[in-house]
Amino acid sequence: MSTTVEVPVVKPVVPARRTKFLTNLWKVLRRKPSRMIGAFIVALFVVMGVIGPWLYPDNLPKSADLLAGPSLSHLLGTDFEGADVLAELVIGSRYVLTAAAVAALVTVVVGVAVGLYAGYRRGRPDSALMRITDFVLTIPGFPLLLVLTTVWKFDSALQMGLVLGLTGWGGLARSVRSQTLSLRERGFVEAARGLGLSTPHIVSRELLPNIAPYVAMNLLIGVTTFIYSQVGLFYLGVLPYNSTNWGVMIQLAVNNGVTQTGAGLSYLMAPLVAILLLTLGVVLLVDAMDEVFNPRLRED
Amino acid sequence: MLKFLRRLAGHVVRGLVMIWIVTTFTFVLVRLMPGDPVETQYETLLSKGMSPDQAKAQVAVTYGFVPHGSVWSQYGHYLWQLLHFDLGKSVRAQGVSVTTEVLSSAKWTIGLVLAGTLLSFLFGVVLGVIAAMRRNSHVGNGLSIVGSLLHGVPQYVMALILVTFLTVKFKLFSTGPVDGLLEPGLNGAYIASIVSHAVLPAVAFALSSFGGYLLSMKSSVVSVLGDDFILASELRGIRPSIIFRYVARNAILPLFTVLALSLGFMVGGAVFIENAFNYPGMGAMLIASIGQRDYSEMSGAFLLITMAVIIANICADMLYTVIDPRVRRGEGA
Amino acid sequence: MRKPVVAVVTAVGTLATVLAAAGCTDSSSSANGGVFTTIDGNHPINVNAPINPYNQASNTFVGYNTMQLGWAKNSKTDPNAFYPGLAKSWTESPDHLKLTVKLQPKAKWSDGKDVTAEDVKTSAAMSFTQGGGAFAVSPGAAGGLGDIKVVDSKTIEFDQAPGSANNSFLRNILAMNVIPKSVYGPQMPADVWTTIKTATDPKADKAAQTKAQNAITSLGKKLVDFGPKKDVSAGPFVLERVNPGEAVLKKNKYFFNAGEIGPQQVVLKNYSGNEQIWNYLIAGQLDAAPYTSTPTNVVNKILDHKGNETIKGFSPVAASLAFNQKYKPLDNVHVRRALAYVIDRKLTTKIGEAESGTAAQTTTGLVGDAANAWLGADGVNKLNQYPHDAAKAEQELKAAGLTKSGKTWMYKGKPFTLNIQAPTGFSDWIAGSKSISSQLTDFGITSSVKTSADYATYLSEIAEGKYQVGFWLTALGPSTYNAYARLYGPSNGWTQFGAQVKHSPAGKDGNWMGATETANVPGLGTVNPGDLTNQLSQADEAKQKELVAKLAQYSNDQLPAIQIWDYVNVQFANTTRFTNFPKTDSDVLRLSPGVWMQLGYVKKK
Repeated sequence: MSTTVEVPVVKPVVPARRTKFLTNLWKVLRRKPSRMIGAFIVALFVVMGVIGPWLYPDNLPKSADLLAGPSLSHLLGTDFEGADVLAELVIGSRYVLTAAAVAALVTVVVGVAVGLYAGYRRGRPDSALMRITDFVLTIPGFPLLLVLTTVWKFDSALQMGLVLGLTGWGGLARSVRSQTLSLRERGFVEAARGLGLSTPHIVSRELLPNIAPYVAMNLLIGVTTFIYSQVGLFYLGVLPYNSTNWGVMIQLAVNNGVTQTGAGLSYLMAPLVAILLLTLGVVLLVDAMDEVFNPRLRED
Repeated sequence: MLKFLRRLAGHVVRGLVMIWIVTTFTFVLVRLMPGDPVETQYETLLSKGMSPDQAKAQVAVTYGFVPHGSVWSQYGHYLWQLLHFDLGKSVRAQGVSVTTEVLSSAKWTIGLVLAGTLLSFLFGVVLGVIAAMRRNSHVGNGLSIVGSLLHGVPQYVMALILVTFLTVKFKLFSTGPVDGLLEPGLNGAYIASIVSHAVLPAVAFALSSFGGYLLSMKSSVVSVLGDDFILASELRGIRPSIIFRYVARNAILPLFTVLALSLGFMVGGAVFIENAFNYPGMGAMLIASIGQRDYSEMSGAFLLITMAVIIANICADMLYTVIDPRVRRGEGA
Repeated sequence: MRKPVVAVVTAVGTLATVLAAAGCTDSSSSANGGVFTTIDGNHPINVNAPINPYNQASNTFVGYNTMQLGWAKNSKTDPNAFYPGLAKSWTESPDHLKLTVKLQPKAKWSDGKDVTAEDVKTSAAMSFTQGGGAFAVSPGAAGGLGDIKVVDSKTIEFDQAPGSANNSFLRNILAMNVIPKSVYGPQMPADVWTTIKTATDPKADKAAQTKAQNAITSLGKKLVDFGPKKDVSAGPFVLERVNPGEAVLKKNKYFFNAGEIGPQQVVLKNYSGNEQIWNYLIAGQLDAAPYTSTPTNVVNKILDHKGNETIKGFSPVAASLAFNQKYKPLDNVHVRRALAYVIDRKLTTKIGEAESGTAAQTTTGLVGDAANAWLGADGVNKLNQYPHDAAKAEQELKAAGLTKSGKTWMYKGKPFTLNIQAPTGFSDWIAGSKSISSQLTDFGITSSVKTSADYATYLSEIAEGKYQVGFWLTALGPSTYNAYARLYGPSNGWTQFGAQVKHSPAGKDGNWMGATETANVPGLGTVNPGDLTNQLSQADEAKQKELVAKLAQYSNDQLPAIQIWDYVNVQFANTTRFTNFPKTDSDVLRLSPGVWMQLGYVKKK
């Protein structure tokens, strides 16, 4: 993500800024320990999703102690068939994070393309695209996903991500458009046009780098929303599944009476707390990024 | 005034177009749907121990509906019925019109979400002002982070945690709708029973949504604090209470738009909470109708949920025009 | 008690106090008035539904305010054993063709009118408009009602349509819901019986017949939506009020056996999911409730509450793992046998259905108790027991031509993989499938569990042949025909065609199991199981015994499905407010508590 992130300044962007962004981010992160924690949490989840599942065998060993509480051999207890909850949490993170990443990618591609084009061209294409954007924004997303589950099976994380992305790009498109509109009036874009530079050049060299920070921040928040939606769908049990993920864990915990008896509480709580933690990490990290991108907010 | 009316008319037309697209979408979707409701019913009855003969008879009782005619005539018929607010007959609740079903569940959801929204608005606004006034202190920072966190945490996390700890572990509240032994009507016991079942879902709803108001209020207050008026009055030494009044009045205006928008999600916004608390509202109904492939109920529920959002959007926009006369066309919308 | 709430949100705290108090008074009031609280296992409550027992979602509850002529006993072998309901007695001719029913002489509706033979006739017309069972609106349907005669005000005669002598006639007639003519009669056209005759007469003019059939279908649609404003019930209770949470019924003083009925009121609670029913049970709010896939820890929690207990009895349903033989090498009987040896049914049952299931002894096509009753314990023990035995499984797989590469079993050079399918929400099947999948993987057959979004999708996809292996309800008794039709009926290619059966090839006409039409079974020779099953529908007891023995042996040898567990009927009861519940293994256990009350059970403590 950090490769395209730049500081929104009035001057044209100099490529050397990239290292400066990282230095800035590091500086801002270090200012508050909470931000370091946030970055650490987010990094932890990424590592968990990428390499975590390889640490466990395909078929988890089953303990005879069903729905047990945390112990030394099972740090987060066991589930209804005696499998280790921590292992399931780690294995299940991959589907969730992959789908969220794909969704984020789709959102960026569609949202930025629509927003940039609409904002840069203005006029008829703009109003047409904004009508569509309004429509996408208006249709209540989660009920729509629920209804879509009746025809779409979301067999893989890729499909899940695709659908989440395709229903969730509206907000980004709109903010990219208003950014573009305001950048368009700034001196450097005018100047570039005066110099007779081509539209692709202006868009890719002048506009994109300047809206990238907003995209990055929107994205980070977007990723969490995508995680909630898909976990929610699995929790409600409207989707078929063939491997474990956090939503499936919640659903099976509820079906197995964890909320009734309290036995196996850690089985239910593990994915819930994972979501809470991830949210916390993102909130803290966004706080830091906000400061890098909006120097006015700095509390010097 | 004329401008206002024209703007309103434009919105209404656009809203109607959106509703038409949504209805067309659900119509198409229903015809793409796999799964045979008749077969499901039969197997469900069998699994309950009914004999195949009885189950067959029972199922035949339920489903007489086979769509005849071409797709276009079905579509025309469907739209024509919609114009008369006729959403068809429910498959699950045999013979009951979907409109009746949808409205009777909407009633429960609206009560719940309205209470939850007002509660969260109240808390959000008050805490938002505090967070903005003290934005450089630990209190302010803490409030912002808690706000973002709660704003970000999905409803089901909150709902499941509350359910597990408050209704099951400590049995403080009951779930479900209302006790039947009480005489319905405007008597204390009946209302108390309704409320007792709705408190926890409403609190869960408020907890998971006040963060948004907190954050909006904070940023709104921060921007008002930067106004020339404030700077000038601070220089002149005007009493803080007057400044506070000025700030609050000007900062809260945009929040009403947010409130109006969120009321649009009133009908469909509590899916998880209703599910976790077994609350008989729209969300629960949508999920149940999907689970049992009752497509007429499903599309009816989805349509109502969407219409609520569209109408709320129009209201919010008109409200915005009234509050802030600078907004006329384009940017602000 | 209210502290945690105050800590969360102060403003709600005070409100909560009032409510917590209100909540407490409710539960205590239900304890002292002879109010029997339960749920209706067939369907939840719907405020908007009509009061009409022929309506699926209706606010009528069988045994409480809906009466049938008789109540089916939970018999292991006899599907025609009934307790009297509105019918006091009945006689059937030995050839099943003529059934004479005498109504309870004192039977009255809740508006004080007598229950007469005319009411039963109106109910039969209603049943025809809804179709199915003995009331199929198709000429010459097997086991259909041919003629109905009112003998006197309390006696009525039913004749089976000529052409068949089906042993299901009695049970289909006695299970009819009886509705009042005073309410439903005016909704029907005067010539309704002429129309029914035309629609069902094999000799009628074809055009007139189609017209009559359509008339009946549209009448059926109209009738099923209809419901009286006020409940008119011939049962022990009458509906007083429905709200989204509960339906309240009060005692019907005109009920013919009102003296026997204990509770003054019955409250049926609404539910949107199993978890909600568990919550009611854990709180001790229900006096009785059927079992709803309750996990062991929840059952224990329920039993922790004072007075809660379980009553267990026979259930004629088994959960099996059914094969689609289109997927090779599942068409090889050795592979199916190998899987039967690999799967540890006891372990699977412990994980999947510990509370209301017992591991199947072996595969017979009938639940264990019914198999013992039909074949005798010796007969069952003589069959292959398929004990959990890896060595035998290995032997069978080798016989099927599979090879082992390292730990993995290979079929034609590729690893033998097995996807087990189960529908979402069926927690027992999912847990069972997961357990089986682990066992298979440990054995060297790569296996995974896939779920389907819901049961509807599951059923349509299994029928389309999309799954290799899936859970399937079998052994649906007590009728042996019904039990074997699950394995050798339409889903395996055999459809009834007049008195004969027709076999469709795999993939056609709903045949997804795809077994061969005949198979050679040691000791029996060539067997066509579909044909044998069809014979069961008309056979007497001795003949059934002979057929069942063959079919059990065939099923055990050929394994179109592996029986994993037999369900056990579990009911929850709370004995703090009421006593005299049916005992373990009572033959009323699968009937509703309303019927228990009619039969003299359930008295106030």
